[in-house]
Amino acid sequence: MKALFRLLSRTKLYWGLLLICLIGALISPHTSSGHNIFLSYGNLTDVLRQVSITGLVATGMTMVILLGGIDLSVGSVMGFSTVICAMLLTKPGWTSASVLGVPAAILVGGTAVALAARFVFSGLARGRDVSAGRRREISLPRWQSIGLPGLLGLLAAVAIGWWTINQVPGKFGVLGVLVIAPCLAMLLGGINGLLIVAGRLQPFIATLAMMVSALGIARLTAGSDNAVVPVYTGTNATEAFELLRSMLWGVLPVPSVFFLAAICLFGAILRFTTFGRYAYAIGGNVEAAKLSGIKVAQVQLTAYLLSGLLAGIAGVLFVAQYRQGKPDAGTGLELDAIAAVVIGGTSLMGGRGGLAGTFVGVLIFGLLSDILQLQNIDSNVQLVMKGLIIVCTVLVQEQNLGQLAARWRHRKSGEAQADPRTVETHRPPSAAKAELAREDLDEAS
Amino acid sequence: MTIYLPAGWTPARAAGKSKVGFSQCTTLEPWRVQFNKDIQAEAKNHPDIDLIITDGQDKTEKQVADCDNLIVQQVNVLLISPKESAGLTGVVEKAIDAKIPVIVLDRNVDTKRITQFIGGDNVAIGKAAGEHAVKLLGGPGKAAGNVVEIWGGMGTQPAHDRHDGFHAFTDKEPGIKYLLNNQSGDWKQDKAYDIMTTALRNNEKIDMVYGHNDPMAYGAYLAAKDAGRDKDIKFIIGIDGLPDEGVTWVSKGQLTATFLYATPGAEGLRQAAKLLKGEKLQPVITLPTMLITKENAPDILKKNGLL
Repeated sequence: MKALFRLLSRTKLYWGLLLICLIGALISPHTSSGHNIFLSYGNLTDVLRQVSITGLVATGMTMVILLGGIDLSVGSVMGFSTVICAMLLTKPGWTSASVLGVPAAILVGGTAVALAARFVFSGLARGRDVSAGRRREISLPRWQSIGLPGLLGLLAAVAIGWWTINQVPGKFGVLGVLVIAPCLAMLLGGINGLLIVAGRLQPFIATLAMMVSALGIARLTAGSDNAVVPVYTGTNATEAFELLRSMLWGVLPVPSVFFLAAICLFGAILRFTTFGRYAYAIGGNVEAAKLSGIKVAQVQLTAYLLSGLLAGIAGVLFVAQYRQGKPDAGTGLELDAIAAVVIGGTSLMGGRGGLAGTFVGVLIFGLLSDILQLQNIDSNVQLVMKGLIIVCTVLVQEQNLGQLAARWRHRKSGEAQADPRTVETHRPPSAAKAELAREDLDEAS
Repeated sequence: MTIYLPAGWTPARAAGKSKVGFSQCTTLEPWRVQFNKDIQAEAKNHPDIDLIITDGQDKTEKQVADCDNLIVQQVNVLLISPKESAGLTGVVEKAIDAKIPVIVLDRNVDTKRITQFIGGDNVAIGKAAGEHAVKLLGGPGKAAGNVVEIWGGMGTQPAHDRHDGFHAFTDKEPGIKYLLNNQSGDWKQDKAYDIMTTALRNNEKIDMVYGHNDPMAYGAYLAAKDAGRDKDIKFIIGIDGLPDEGVTWVSKGQLTATFLYATPGAEGLRQAAKLLKGEKLQPVITLPTMLITKENAPDILKKNGLL
């Protein structure tokens, strides 16, 4: 019985998802031929497509939050990426000075980022190691960290992408767009990371500043008298660009392929790699991680870079889907992403949670939206209901069903037993946290 | 490319030139961008006027500060297109108290103490759209079809006016059915796309889409196109009629029609110039709308150098 409760409690998020699907199917309208609309393949793939953009951003956000940070800049960074992408598509050659100026400035900034990163890794991080005696440091395996070579590689990638767009027409030009926009977004993420690890700014402050300035950069790039950069069919490389919103082999919408791939890839990275282990360790207790010699700065920087990268990819998919680049395309997106991460059970304090949860969180949000839309419920009511679902899910997430059941049993039998939750607080907090982290590692798979 | 310098940076004006300040509430929307283009184009016809444009960045407090700044600079006429009525009323009265005439554009303020109001009539435009819709769906008394209406911001007056005007005509037709219940696309192309995707899934027969602005109508068109049903939905109607948006889409046959919601930019500056010459202004100017269809769209594009 206890084991059953424990199992139910651990998997309650998935049961919640199932429950939402069940409700959706039961109350779904039917087509005239008696076909359940909610359960139709088209509807479900539509939901997957609609959540992909938020989902990609939430994937990056999960990693940042796991490390005990937050990234408020993702919406603006995505907007920036949509503008870069739309301009690359609609302005063949795209060499006018004002327009080239901003990416150029970012390239210079990126080099500065790279140099500063080297400074951080070689000097600051080591100098602040407080462990007594011999200095011991544990870096990430080389392929898991994006250090100086990685950043230089990024710049090279942007240059190659640029060359591709201008030299190779058609599908390969699109590849250039797919490289450039996310890489530039990644550089913005890198600046976030550097402000945090080298500048010692609070993640909230650093990414807030980036949220404001990236919007400005995006608008400057678009030109101040362009609120929107439209991408009409028939312009440079758009035909190949259509592939990005089509169905892959007629089965899955391409945007959702990106989302699913990101979840699987980064889920595996969090589960199986040193980067993942360190991420949980740092999120659980930064000081302990530092004392045990983990290069915290390196891991943090990597997480913010990845968050920027994923927001950049989301931007390209936005342009493919809605045929426009918009500086403010991602306004409010950071909040949706954070909501999905929190619904998915990742703690805002860091150290607990994982991408499996985020995936379910994003789906719950998307399915709920779809159900409300199919029921044709007033837009304002939809907002209220979404707020309610966030609160309810998190409430259920925070309560341990097994403990609730135990308390209920005890009350029934009249036994005067201590609340299991109070018992827990008597243990050393680090032990409790370590156990939670272990559990979450198991869950994250 | 326009650069909005802080107003203090403008060079000292030549002798005899008048200063006209224009406080724009935001430049994040295409319609507002066109608004600024119109007023700047008109300013070229008035060499004796120095035009200063400020951008309120969609924040009431920023726009109030902009107006304060223009008052301190002692502009000869203040043009203002308020973000919202209540928040900007105080600063408009302050300008009047400082003996600066104020011409209010597009959205009004809560005071009678203004020199002139210039704006479009959203109810009238909604009515024109409704009348056209009834015609397209079979004519008065016989009109029939399933209509999807995509709202602008639910809390904004223009959306309610455009809704009420439309329904003044279409509600008389028993054959017209509405498929959506107050679905807000928030004036955005991407939101409208997602709403329309679900509407298409939910309804096998959709005859017409009425978008409260062109980007939303276009977003609905894109959703229908991606679902392979753009040919079945014959009538997609928008409002705004910007040359590089609505008019372009209409001329390509992607939207059936759009209705001009003219920006009061050019007219505003002309009225300011009149005022500076000492003429008296009428208290309200209502800008007329215009039906834009495939027939007249190319002419408009030509006029704007887009064809």
